[in-house]
Amino acid sequence: MLEKPDGADLLATARDVVLNELLPALPPEKAMAARMVAAAIALALRERAAVVPAMPDLAALAAEIRAGAHDPGTPTHAATATLLRDHARARAAVSAPKALGATG
Amino acid sequence: MDEAALCGWLRRATGDEALRITALTRLSGGAIQQNWALDVETAEGARRWVLRTDAPAVLAVSLPRAAEFALLRAAREAGVTVAEPIFLCEDMGVIGRPFFVMGRVEGIAAAHRVVKQAAPHGDEVVAALGRELARIHRIRPPRADLTFLGDPPADAARAMIAAMRARLDEAGTPRPVLEWGLRALERTAPPPVAPVLCHHDFRTGNVMIDGARVAAVLDWEFAAWGDPHADLGWFCAKCWRFGAHAREAGGIGAREAFYAGYESEAGTRIDRARMPWWELMATIRWAVIAADQAARHLSGQERSLELALTGHIVPELELDVLAMTEAL
Repeated sequence: MLEKPDGADLLATARDVVLNELLPALPPEKAMAARMVAAAIALALRERAAVVPAMPDLAALAAEIRAGAHDPGTPTHAATATLLRDHARARAAVSAPKALGATG
Repeated sequence: MDEAALCGWLRRATGDEALRITALTRLSGGAIQQNWALDVETAEGARRWVLRTDAPAVLAVSLPRAAEFALLRAAREAGVTVAEPIFLCEDMGVIGRPFFVMGRVEGIAAAHRVVKQAAPHGDEVVAALGRELARIHRIRPPRADLTFLGDPPADAARAMIAAMRARLDEAGTPRPVLEWGLRALERTAPPPVAPVLCHHDFRTGNVMIDGARVAAVLDWEFAAWGDPHADLGWFCAKCWRFGAHAREAGGIGAREAFYAGYESEAGTRIDRARMPWWELMATIRWAVIAADQAARHLSGQERSLELALTGHIVPELELDVLAMTEAL
């Protein structure tokens, strides 16, 4: 049994320190760097909690799409569109969760 | 930066043996290039310049400084508002990298500040930007001073699709969503138009604004012969509105105000039916660039939190690509 608080708690606490204690005390030209640190911590926390859906071989899928194998009118078109949307949404949930609200 | 060597070179370039550097400070911004504020005292008085050179790790796809210098000259001749190109130094022995010196322009370039501050006169600003872009597009091949750009592509749209696929292959990370968008672009590619000089990074963040006025068009390192709609689409694409999505022209003003400025200067009408195609291409291109920036961090070539976080823009862009592909 590892000691508590765990990594997620520490990261969240560290992020609060960056935003609430360090950022107000920093010169303006360093504010961006502090915000990036906070964003990176938030992203790492989301990644820890993420559920990554099982995906087929992405390299093969990419090559098939390029070759037109899943074009409109093919039997696999609709299923491929759904799969790609799920793939993008799962990654956006970690990288840019705000984007999920915007595009549905 | 070897200030003594730089000072010696500037003395020779100006013929002013008494020239002195009074300030040399790194300016913010520029993932690919470095800009330095360079203040000098000359026989004719004080001068405020910018020294532009390469960052330690240079993107292979960007043009070298000598080319950028020639483009600035051509743009200035065409009436585009740019900083005055003054001196070019290709001698690696001076500061260790090629550089050029240009006039310093005052204004705001940082995208979020431009979006916020230009809003009250946003339509006026985007109309002025439209006129600038039309002047850039007046530069047409062939040009003896721009031979480094190579021959114009026979079909700029299809050439861009091929270029994006080549970059995806080179990067080695399979990106089926971007392939999905590129395949849709391939099926619906518009017929080619006469090639013009495209800036290829004409967007909010790369133009300096002073009130309602355009102070300078910046960052010419991706310029190439191409389809003028590529620049129009890059400027208007949703991914370059910095959160101000309702203001479709760069997050600054109305799309029609931007188009009207362009058309008034170009004397031709923009084919609006072509725009969704080029805005989808813009979104894919930015995703490819963003992924490449993260790859620079991942490879150890240039460890940077900014580059690392840029890679995390890709999934959001992919959601846009899927929506735009469906609407094409």
